[in-house]
Amino acid sequence: MTRLLTPSPSDPAVAPTADQLRAQVGRLFGRSLYIRTVDTGSCAACESEIRLLAAPHYDLHRLGFFFTPAPRHADLLMVTGPGTTGMAHALRATHAAMPDPKVVVAVGACALGGVYRQADDLTHGGVTGLLPVDVLIPGCPPSPLALLQGLLVAVGRLAERIEPARFRIEGAEAP
Amino acid sequence: MTAPRDGAPQPAPLGALRAAVPTAPCRSGGPGVVAVALSGDQMETAVHALALSGGARLADLFALPAGDGLEAGGPELALHLVYALDHDQTYCRLEAPVTGPEYARLSDAAPAAFVEECEIYEQWGIRPAGDKHLNRIFLSPLAAAPLRTAAPVTRRARPGPGEVRAPHVVQGEAFEFPVGPVRGVAQESLYLGLVTTGEELLDAFLAFFHKHRGVEQQLRGRSPDGALFLVERTEGPGAVGNGLAFARAVEAATGMVPPVAAEATRLVALELERLYNHAAATAALCQATGLGVGQAQAEILLEECLRLNAAAFGHRYLFNVVAVGGVRRGCDAAELRRRLPVLCGELRRVSGALLATNSHVDRLEAAGVLSEAAARRLGLVGPVARASGLDLDTRRDHPTGPGPAGRLLVPTRSTGDVLGRLQVMLAEIDETERLITDWLAADAVLPAVAVAVAPVPGSEPGTGVREGLGWAESSRGESLAFVRLGPDGRVVAARQRPAAARNWRAFDDALRSRNVFTDVAIIEASFWLTVAGYAR
Amino acid sequence: MARWFLRGLRRGVVTTRYPHRPDPEAARVPTPPAFDPARLTGALADQLVAVCPSGALERRGDTLVLDVGACTACQRCLPVAGAAGRPSGVFECAATDRDRLRVAIPIRGQHR
Ligand code: SF4
Ligand code: SF4
Repeated sequence: MTRLLTPSPSDPAVAPTADQLRAQVGRLFGRSLYIRTVDTGSCAACESEIRLLAAPHYDLHRLGFFFTPAPRHADLLMVTGPGTTGMAHALRATHAAMPDPKVVVAVGACALGGVYRQADDLTHGGVTGLLPVDVLIPGCPPSPLALLQGLLVAVGRLAERIEPARFRIEGAEAP
Repeated sequence: MTAPRDGAPQPAPLGALRAAVPTAPCRSGGPGVVAVALSGDQMETAVHALALSGGARLADLFALPAGDGLEAGGPELALHLVYALDHDQTYCRLEAPVTGPEYARLSDAAPAAFVEECEIYEQWGIRPAGDKHLNRIFLSPLAAAPLRTAAPVTRRARPGPGEVRAPHVVQGEAFEFPVGPVRGVAQESLYLGLVTTGEELLDAFLAFFHKHRGVEQQLRGRSPDGALFLVERTEGPGAVGNGLAFARAVEAATGMVPPVAAEATRLVALELERLYNHAAATAALCQATGLGVGQAQAEILLEECLRLNAAAFGHRYLFNVVAVGGVRRGCDAAELRRRLPVLCGELRRVSGALLATNSHVDRLEAAGVLSEAAARRLGLVGPVARASGLDLDTRRDHPTGPGPAGRLLVPTRSTGDVLGRLQVMLAEIDETERLITDWLAADAVLPAVAVAVAPVPGSEPGTGVREGLGWAESSRGESLAFVRLGPDGRVVAARQRPAAARNWRAFDDALRSRNVFTDVAIIEASFWLTVAGYAR
Repeated sequence: MARWFLRGLRRGVVTTRYPHRPDPEAARVPTPPAFDPARLTGALADQLVAVCPSGALERRGDTLVLDVGACTACQRCLPVAGAAGRPSGVFECAATDRDRLRVAIPIRGQHR
């Protein structure tokens, strides 16, 4: 199994071992999983796609995921937007309020460092520098199906499908 | 209401303006735009003359460096005022230099300008004369010390956080109940300070700065196409409306004329955007009133709208459709012909059932009331303005290209409540279906594989600085864009004014109209604005 | 309420079967590009980097690095790439490691 949870303390002496992490994850998907979202400056299309996950066409609940407004009940944090400085504090506070173990999922090209590209005095140019991110879901916006796949990857129920070969056209005839 | 207007030789507000400031040079600023250069001391006179003339609506106000650059110690700032002369198919753009740290207070004659006065103070450090407190708009109190500064955004020192907070007083039995910035699931970040004594809402303070990304500054130095990429991503559910306004601004600056079929194609995209946004607002209203089954039905239709977008234009939110000078791709007309009537029929059936559900309608009636006077004073646009009785629609009042000039039906209501806004949106769905069907029947749109962009005239170096104003009627109302291109064809300065930037200023007024706590979500859904469009 | 209940019954099940079955709707969404190393020249790679508005392409010596994470699938690079590029069709892009999303595409095309 690939790395699923980023240990909060980076000191190897304090960080949980891989076995402990695996046990935590086992506990996570042994029951239903609660999701909290935070918007750090998204264009609102990513939020719209996340909302539709609960709509009849995708019905996230059938897979054991639920949304919760309370960070203290949440196991998984979905973050959208380029990490505005105005939201940095609220994002960290939300993350800190979640009980361990917790999974952070960065959603959309903005959150992954595209679109705004660089940090300046108003955005962090992505959320990967703000929080330890466990799963990244590309797309602008990621469709609800892509979000579903990302969530399932986050809890280890689906393997990653990213393979470099799929972005190379190999074996085409010579130009 | 639908009759075409006779082109008057000289719009009355312009006559009043000319009489008030006879020496100010007046020139054409592109099709449907008159540009007037004022001196600093003429501005106040001009604003008063336009306010008294009756036919002019202040649509936007912003400051940019005068001339072409941001070089240190260079030219001073200039104020830009955009007036919409809605009866004369004209926008009037005033430009006046500002010397010194203050300019004449505009919000006395044009109350709609107050938010922009605050915005200009934060961005450029100049303020209106007088000692009225300015509100915080974009400047985060937490970002007082810049983290890293990529490029100097302002030439003057930005005001400190303490200087831009109007003292807000919560007295007596009342207390301020804080909501946000992290709110419900998959809702945008927004701080709502709800002043209440327990149940009834007395007042509300909104803070938008959490999502401020400085998009307008980021547009500088980009190519028009690269800028359009970011404009579309400023407010995702308004990508076509805002993108079209920006593309038209660049087209006006460069004299590009998009091919007729390309213009029709992007208008189809604009109407599809209206359709899915109105469906989304319907779903959000059901969620807010707790009508779960209605919400599920409306969400099914919203998803179907998005799937139709993807089938017709290759993107669920219609990103990457508009291009400067045309469209990036055509649309799949066969899919649209097949699926649109079914979808609109379903939308009508569901909305009919909603309007026949008393428990739902009772919550919408007399909630979040905005009077016509308030809507006019605050310069509102779109369905919110139309539900309060303002008969405005940029598609009809400022037609461009082969648009539906003259025969567009603009639904209005006079109640100004949540139900009125819902009725306006539902009536617009019918008009949207008719427009798309007409364009498809006339075979006016481009096939899916086609890309049609007008050639770029005059983009060779040495062309000089060019400016243009663009507009579009997005699903939330009039969206405006102003762009200034440098000699190399890149963006030197840009202004975006999505409809959300206009309509949020009425939200606290709507909340104050004798509502209870649980009405907040209902009123927010009926405005159907985005924080992203305001906090750009 | 009964009317709403009946309406819901009439609509039937619309829920996707994904991930147990593929969903045809996945083919409708735009996907990041795929490039053909054999047709990719250094000059073309530089043009691609210049046209990408999202900073998703980067030239590193003899490779073009496509950052799937930063890519918005806007497909502005495809007209420039011509025969050297097409949509990859990959919508399942989630990854647990930022670096896994950076795909190296060797530049093997020859200048003519
Ligand atoms: S990734 Fe794209 S859709 Fe999502 S918030 Fe950013 S710009 Fe909007
Ligand atoms: S699809 Fe758009 S964002 Fe992605 S690599 Fe191409 S140009 Fe860049």
